[in-house]
Amino acid sequence: MFETIETDVLVIGGGIAGAFAAYKARASGARVLLVDRSYFGRSGCSALASGVYPSYMPGDRTEDWINGLGAGPLVNQSLLVKSLPVMYEHLTTMDRWGVKWLKEGRQIVRLGAPGRAFKNGVWMTEGGPQMMMAVRAGVLAGGVDVLNRVALTRLLTSDGKLPTEGRVIGAVGFHVRTGAIYALHAKATVMCAGPYKFPYPWPGSTLGYMPVDLSGDGIAMMLEAGAELSRLELGGINLNPDHLLCAPGLESLMPSGAKFVEKNGRRFLADYDPKRMEMTSRALLYFAVAHQKELGNAPSMDLREIGLERMELLKNAIPIVMASYEGSGVDITNQPVPYSYQVAGTAGIFGAGARISERGETTIPGLFAGGTCTDLAYLPGGHLPFCSVTGHWAGEAAGAYAIGARREPLAPRQIEQALSDIEEPLTRRDGARYAPVHRRLGELLMEKVGLVLRADRLQTALDRLLRLRADEVDRLYAADPHELAKVWGLKHYTRVLEATLRAYLYRTESRVAFIREDYPVIDNVNWVKMVIVQKQGAALKLWDEPLPESFHVVPVRPTQHVHLVFRQKETADAAVR
Amino acid sequence: MLPYVEVNKSACTGCGVCVETCPPDVLRLDSDNKAFMAYPDDCQGCFVCQWDCKYEALRVRVR
Repeated sequence: MFETIETDVLVIGGGIAGAFAAYKARASGARVLLVDRSYFGRSGCSALASGVYPSYMPGDRTEDWINGLGAGPLVNQSLLVKSLPVMYEHLTTMDRWGVKWLKEGRQIVRLGAPGRAFKNGVWMTEGGPQMMMAVRAGVLAGGVDVLNRVALTRLLTSDGKLPTEGRVIGAVGFHVRTGAIYALHAKATVMCAGPYKFPYPWPGSTLGYMPVDLSGDGIAMMLEAGAELSRLELGGINLNPDHLLCAPGLESLMPSGAKFVEKNGRRFLADYDPKRMEMTSRALLYFAVAHQKELGNAPSMDLREIGLERMELLKNAIPIVMASYEGSGVDITNQPVPYSYQVAGTAGIFGAGARISERGETTIPGLFAGGTCTDLAYLPGGHLPFCSVTGHWAGEAAGAYAIGARREPLAPRQIEQALSDIEEPLTRRDGARYAPVHRRLGELLMEKVGLVLRADRLQTALDRLLRLRADEVDRLYAADPHELAKVWGLKHYTRVLEATLRAYLYRTESRVAFIREDYPVIDNVNWVKMVIVQKQGAALKLWDEPLPESFHVVPVRPTQHVHLVFRQKETADAAVR
Repeated sequence: MLPYVEVNKSACTGCGVCVETCPPDVLRLDSDNKAFMAYPDDCQGCFVCQWDCKYEALRVRVR
């Protein structure tokens, strides 16, 4: 038994990308249904945002933005420039919806970082939770329908096949409380369910940070449908304070004067980016902290020199982070906060997934995507506005597509198969139990992938992953619909992880936070390219394509130099290879 | 450290807002119509329930 719901545009995911996608699709005149695995306005990363929406304002110099964000050779810089006025439009739209921005009088103000002239940070005075609930209210007032607590498992296609040679015509999934199954039948589908990381970490594991349920469902569904994915290899790591399940809040902490120090109090960013220090690109910052941890230097974040006034602002802008510190007995006014990193097997917030056009079109007709499950969101900083902008573009294009498109019928056999697959873990009473399988998968990541990558270890990780997936993940038992959602999360996660490990193996260079011991050179001669992954039949195919010259506002210099990790340490021999 | 939700049962009115909004779907109402952690392992300590409870019946703690 299942319920079919028909709509013109189906938007999957209720973060800021999904919100703007739904809003813009509805504004084009299409009927829109937004589906969230959790609760629209409270789910995913956006509600736990780091307190700052970096925004362009009229009169800004575009080169300041490119330099300020550290947009390197692999970033679509031209698109970044195009996104700037849209950010400002979103800022004012959200202001109208009631998002509480820091203002002087009625004027929204921006704050910069100490010692830097470039100011782009618009602060939320009541944090991400208030921002997303106001956004939710604005989107609902625009006439978007919402279905909460429905976890989707598969995209539906016009030819009934996965991968498809036809169109995407919706998705199928289940309610995470009642187990009721839904077939959502649409003319256009917009995927905004990213990013992905190891889901539901166990307490104390270094795999943990909020939100816990990012299992890459959206990327996995697009992969299974045959969409081309890219940039999977460029994410790598995420940071979190030791032993806290906590979003780190770096967007507001770094420009407030937070310093990363090693055990003797030295600011180690001097070794990585002496000019910009903690305001370096987010990817390099993440890498530097992780690297110091690997070297045994006990990296920690020192907040002791932040003034009282700014500290008050922080308490309101990143309430979760500050409440987590307080609740766990960490006195940030008295001691630095120790930091850990989350190992590879994640694209984190850096943006990886469907290869999309500037209109949010994936390589499959009828399927659009926005936010961090796409390759266009790849940007080493400023993710929230890039998500809202790519969501906006995808929603606008999907709305126009849906209005012109004919409704393709659902394929009965595909629905039948999807239903049976969804429910199968509930009936497999002799199946593997979630907790031990989940833990083995996490341990495999930590032991065999790690921070510094090497072909033999990656190959072992891949072999073990494929065995674990076939023998255990795909044979899991779920006690109820709540656990079924977690089981499907692991199924999806292991599919994206396979694609990611293969992309790691494919890129034979090092770059920012992607570090290969066996290929230590940052290679701007051969690797200003994207690595594409696509499911063809039952197998994943990989190839590379050069980035078009149109990507680059700042021309790429054809240099080859050894990554600073290998210049700094005793691994000089690796540099020679 | 393990986050958990402490429920003041005399303050909880059973309105269900926390059950509706909890991101990782941890909370339910018990037979007395009071909030409780049905899936304690999945609590991420995000404070959403604490903020959304207008009766101040929920506190996020760490053990």
